[in-house]
Amino acid sequence: MTFHRGAITSIMGPSGTGKTTLLRLIARQLHPDRGHILIDGVDVAGLSQSGLYALRKRIGMLFQNGALLTDLSVFENVAFPLRAHTRLGERLIRLVVLTKLHAVGLRGAADLMPSELSGGMARRVALARAIVMDPDILIYDEPFVGLDPISMGVIVRLIRRLNDTLGISSIVVSHDLKEIAAVSDQSFLLSDGAAVASGSPEELKQNDTEMVRQFMHGLPDGPVAFHYEAPDYSQQLLDQGTP
Amino acid sequence: MKFLHDLWRSQSEFVRTFGAMTLFFFQLLRYSPSTLVRRFSLVVAQIFNAGALSIVIIMVSGLFVGGVLGLQAFANLERFNAEEATGILAGFALVKEIGPVITALLFAGRAGTALTSEIGLMKATDQLSAMEMMAVNPMQRVFVPRFLGGIIAMPLLTAVFTMVGLLGAHLVAVELLDVDVGAYWQQLQQAMELDDVYEGITKSIVFGFVASLIAVWEGYNSVPTPEGVGRATTRTVVSTAIAVLILDFMITAYLL
Repeated sequence: MTFHRGAITSIMGPSGTGKTTLLRLIARQLHPDRGHILIDGVDVAGLSQSGLYALRKRIGMLFQNGALLTDLSVFENVAFPLRAHTRLGERLIRLVVLTKLHAVGLRGAADLMPSELSGGMARRVALARAIVMDPDILIYDEPFVGLDPISMGVIVRLIRRLNDTLGISSIVVSHDLKEIAAVSDQSFLLSDGAAVASGSPEELKQNDTEMVRQFMHGLPDGPVAFHYEAPDYSQQLLDQGTP
Repeated sequence: MKFLHDLWRSQSEFVRTFGAMTLFFFQLLRYSPSTLVRRFSLVVAQIFNAGALSIVIIMVSGLFVGGVLGLQAFANLERFNAEEATGILAGFALVKEIGPVITALLFAGRAGTALTSEIGLMKATDQLSAMEMMAVNPMQRVFVPRFLGGIIAMPLLTAVFTMVGLLGAHLVAVELLDVDVGAYWQQLQQAMELDDVYEGITKSIVFGFVASLIAVWEGYNSVPTPEGVGRATTRTVVSTAIAVLILDFMITAYLL
């Protein structure tokens, strides 16, 4: 799989096919058993701790539930990476944080605590935090899950805008087809830990493979079976001895 | 055969957990000096969390434990006309045993559980992963400050508990039961050596290490789900209680 610079690449697939695992491999929160992950030609697996941390400063990651630090205010959450990695003065930090919060429309929420935010707001704050170090790569883990349509639209537009204005390469993991189609330049479909198809969302819709068809059209039965693996139905009903 | 297999499995599981915990402990020690120097404010915040927030329960318990020691000591010593020695009995018990042990048990219940559940929740809500992704080592930002905070808080809490306990014993024996106040304190002062106080301090320091390590470890090692965090919190109390009581026996036997 290749992710192009400056593009939004989406990774789709049924639950449990390894989408999040792939993200964690890219960010090396997990170690690959086999294969290589190259970022700018550098193998992630071979990095030392300091090399890894240097790499991670160039990667922003948006977690599914935001993963804001609950003991810090919205402002401090966004300021957190700056305080950890830069020697910027207090005034400059304030400037940067407010700019980023403004970009996600939450400048007014700077003094709230994470517990006071709605799900959509928390995710936008997390997005502001992810871009505060001006990363080259932005990774979104299921950014659309559990959002109302309005928040969803906001996030979709933000992903597109941030990618284009900041020149970021984005990787989006999701299975919300409509939203994916709206933002991504290229998509991969994962199944059982391997990419089974790739292309633009339109191309995938035309794709004729059984697996791709089932996923893109939401068919209940197909390669991904409706029934969890079980003994024969009539056999089990008649067999009274075992539950 | 199955029995042997199960035994082997549980034993190797135990060894693995113990090994992981030991590695975790060394990591904590490794990052302790730099955290103390560069993130001292975080440590102070945790001393407040573990120490200051536990002070009410420590003082109330200390007062009543001291009082009950005074009562029991008086009731038994009176039979030998030695009620002035109430101070010795209550004082020794408090300084050498009850003070450090009960403080450690209360600490596990109040501060230890708070630490475990807080860290467990941070893990369950991806906050620790998020920190790693922001190239911030959770060791320095989360674990070590809490570990050090607990270590520093424990001896202080023990001192508070023991002092309030002595006050409780004094109130019962002198004010309530009319033991002569001069004799009460003079006998205690004469009998108690500095070594006895050191024994109490040694214990409280050891218990501080153990209780903090267990609390932080259980949070770190918890299964990141609601029930996993709940179970880890329970384990913190149980493991700390057992470890403290066993260590108390060992230290006492060693120092005797």
